[in-house]
Amino acid sequence: MAVTGSIDEVRDWILRRHPERQTIDAEENLIQTRLVDSLTFVELVYVVESTTGVEIDFDNIDIQNFQTLATIEKAFFITA
Amino acid sequence: MVSNLINPDKRFLEILDRLRDKSIDDYYNPYRLFKWPEILPDDMWWMSPELTTTYGTSVAERLTEQQLHALSKFESINFYSLNVHGIRELLIEVTRRIHTKGFETPSEFFHHFIGEENEHMWFFAEFCLRYGKKIYRQPSGAGMEMPKPEVETLLVFVRILIFEELVDHFNSRMATDDRLHDTVRAINRIHHQDESRHIAFGRELVTVLFADVRRTSTEQELAGLADYLRRYLTYSFESLFNPHVYRDAGLADPLAVREELLVSPTRAEFERSVFRKTSKFLEKIGIIP
Ligand SMILES: [Fe+2]
Ligand SMILES: [Fe+2]
Repeated sequence: MAVTGSIDEVRDWILRRHPERQTIDAEENLIQTRLVDSLTFVELVYVVESTTGVEIDFDNIDIQNFQTLATIEKAFFITA
Repeated sequence: MVSNLINPDKRFLEILDRLRDKSIDDYYNPYRLFKWPEILPDDMWWMSPELTTTYGTSVAERLTEQQLHALSKFESINFYSLNVHGIRELLIEVTRRIHTKGFETPSEFFHHFIGEENEHMWFFAEFCLRYGKKIYRQPSGAGMEMPKPEVETLLVFVRILIFEELVDHFNSRMATDDRLHDTVRAINRIHHQDESRHIAFGRELVTVLFADVRRTSTEQELAGLADYLRRYLTYSFESLFNPHVYRDAGLADPLAVREELLVSPTRAEFERSVFRKTSKFLEKIGIIP
């Protein structure tokens, strides 16, 4: 299925919530650095869903796909 | 360890006995209790309008009454879905602890709690599946952080309490709202009745668990705990604003609708009213300054 948005929108969303940061590296671990935690994870998923326009199956979320911007991009934005 | 904290506390032990007796006296068969009409009319308030997330907002101004009714239906399905999954998660935690070392004293109460919650989960799921043809799911970030074991039990029971108090704010109002269908009122009324016992227990337990954590924690740890709980209250409140609900009600750009509602001028007052009693309690015991 065609994906509409870009991973930059996800990066911008995280940056808006962390004014202390100017950039986020594609390989930076979002969970270990606590840019995303158990209480903001829900919103991250909503943002990915809304940006890509593709519904995510919430019952089968693989947290590994949400570790870095690169893994998010690979799992949800790049469609071969 | 929970037993050690409760056993010297005569008042707590008496409350446990009283709540157990009340559970036995109030026991009912949920599978026979409710009337489930084939359909509920679409064109009605499924939730008290003041309790819907769009009440008094710019979003509501753009909608017709019929659209607001439809939205209240999906919002009510979301509310009962939050109940289903909230209960499922608390059952996992309580079941993990019942009859294990340290939980001997509250185990008898836990039997009633687990039994009642299983029944609540059934009637909430039944409502969602019959009238909404689905149960909403929220992505779960549970397990991302690993608290110290001494704090973990406290966190489990504070989260259960916050969840039960949030739900009860809605149940207690909808139980007596005569704009709502009898079936809607009935499930809210019955749940409110059972939850008053659970909340009474939860408040007692959280009080003794926090007193213990306070004795053994640094200032910095306590500040971290307060900060987490404040954020957890916000997170719980915001779970009422589900973008899939706005999508199902036919609103364009559902995530933008959610964001518009979360920054709306009415939001702060809505959040305060939902957690008025809860915040007062958490401040009283000192877990939140
Ligand atoms: Fe319940
Ligand atoms: Fe309960």
